[in-house]
Amino acid sequence: MAASVIVANKVTKIFEAGRRDRVVALEDLSLEVGEGEFVCLVGGSGCGKTTFLNLVAGFLAPTEGTIYLRGRPVAGIEPRAGMIFQSYALLPWKTVAGNVEFGPKMKRLPRAERRAIAERFIRMVGLTGFERFYPGQLSGGMQQRVTLARLLAADREVFLMDEPFAALDAMTRQVMQEELIRIHEQSGKTTVFVTHNIDEALILADRIIVMSARPGRVKASIDNDLPRPRRVDVQLSARYLALKTQIWGHVEEEVRRHIEATPRAGGE
Amino acid sequence: MRERAEATRALGAGTAERAGAPRRSSRYGAASRSFALGALSVLVLLAAWQLVTAGGYISPIFLPSPPQVMRQARRYLMDGSLFWHVLSSGRRVLGGFLLAAVVAVPLGIALGTSRTAKALFDPILSIIRPLPSLSWIPLTILWFGIDEGQKYAIVFMGTFASALLYVMESTRRVDPLLIKAAQNLGATRLDVLREVVLPGSLPGIISGLKVCLALAWTCVLSAEMVAASNGLGALIWFAKDWNNMALVMVGMVSISITVLLIDSAFRLVEDRILPWERHHRRRDT
Repeated sequence: MAASVIVANKVTKIFEAGRRDRVVALEDLSLEVGEGEFVCLVGGSGCGKTTFLNLVAGFLAPTEGTIYLRGRPVAGIEPRAGMIFQSYALLPWKTVAGNVEFGPKMKRLPRAERRAIAERFIRMVGLTGFERFYPGQLSGGMQQRVTLARLLAADREVFLMDEPFAALDAMTRQVMQEELIRIHEQSGKTTVFVTHNIDEALILADRIIVMSARPGRVKASIDNDLPRPRRVDVQLSARYLALKTQIWGHVEEEVRRHIEATPRAGGE
Repeated sequence: MRERAEATRALGAGTAERAGAPRRSSRYGAASRSFALGALSVLVLLAAWQLVTAGGYISPIFLPSPPQVMRQARRYLMDGSLFWHVLSSGRRVLGGFLLAAVVAVPLGIALGTSRTAKALFDPILSIIRPLPSLSWIPLTILWFGIDEGQKYAIVFMGTFASALLYVMESTRRVDPLLIKAAQNLGATRLDVLREVVLPGSLPGIISGLKVCLALAWTCVLSAEMVAASNGLGALIWFAKDWNNMALVMVGMVSISITVLLIDSAFRLVEDRILPWERHHRRRDT
């Protein structure tokens, strides 16, 4: 493997809610992500996938352990990591172009340069012609494309994606997955993608990390050797089914454990 | 395609659009239908009024008839005094309201974003807020006399605390995920304030100020009833003393119409400064 871009070293995150409630979201989690690698974190709800992304982005600080980005520890909001959220988090009062230009604007780039950058990435995600639309006027799939363009325009070293396609319908999701593969091939950015969908992970990832239920740890790390470029028909191959069975084996165990450990319904 | 049509409509710079005339025929139909229904209900009310007064069911001492009110209205319109009363009241409302808004908006944003400031101001606010504007009349008369300054002071005291609360709440209710996203894209604290908190709280601030504007009217009218020689409140009070109920009703109707006009002016301003909300509002109506 090439030099590690993200290194998590024995990271523990404990949430204290009230005097007695104490949730160990992550415990002694260690993992490495290599240069340009596309890693999917898979696991049921409550395994700390999102917490891990928040730690890498610097929104949260680990209770113990350290996360390094290219050897430098993450302390505070990390300017080298860019995040995509499940619920888009686009600024509703800015147009598509305004949202995509936001990162360059925060870097105080001159207006003309910002425009050029925005135009380029809006084209890359196939939204040319929609620059002057407000997010509220776009469909969910289109809004998520805007967040992709916004992330690309912000020019971050590491991409963090928190179930970005979970709210989309099955067909839109498939199209978006293919777009993401294409964009990843073009940009070569190191990406950590959180999902609870094994098929999605198998289509996208170079490597799939299965996380254990609370407290979250790395349960298994599986290299995804499915040939690239991947199209949907890869799902019909024997190798695909073998990998899926293997991953599901790990996940199922954890999901069962989580359900049994959760007191009453709706624990999460 | 539909999305695009929708968007061009919402973004459309056409003046007809801005005046609130929807372009699509179905929507136009719906709008004119609800307008017709509204006009109908007003007409029914007027007819019922005419019926009970002309039919002698209610004595004109208790409820003057529409023609009586019309006669009074015409008299006061002709000599221009009604217009003058509306103008004096309107000036007091706007003056006091703008004064309150100018102080409340920046202060409210500061209180909404800083926990320390909130802890400092919250108790004072909860002491002032429940006081009705009428209770400020004795003190303000003592401080400012009975001229214009006192009217502005009444409006200010009557609306300031509410305005401040609205601004504070809307500032605090900005989606924290948007702030997170902005920070992730490199926004500093000041950037977050300018690019996220301000525009994010603007719709709430504006609707809060609309409520306060209505509040300002009640403040002015009650202040005018107590101590003023002009304005709609004074007109109603004089008419009461002269036992001229028709004139009282002229004053009341004038208030309704003036507030209605100011409200629609406010809505035009809203469309201008909240362009991203326009398509939401249109969809609702």
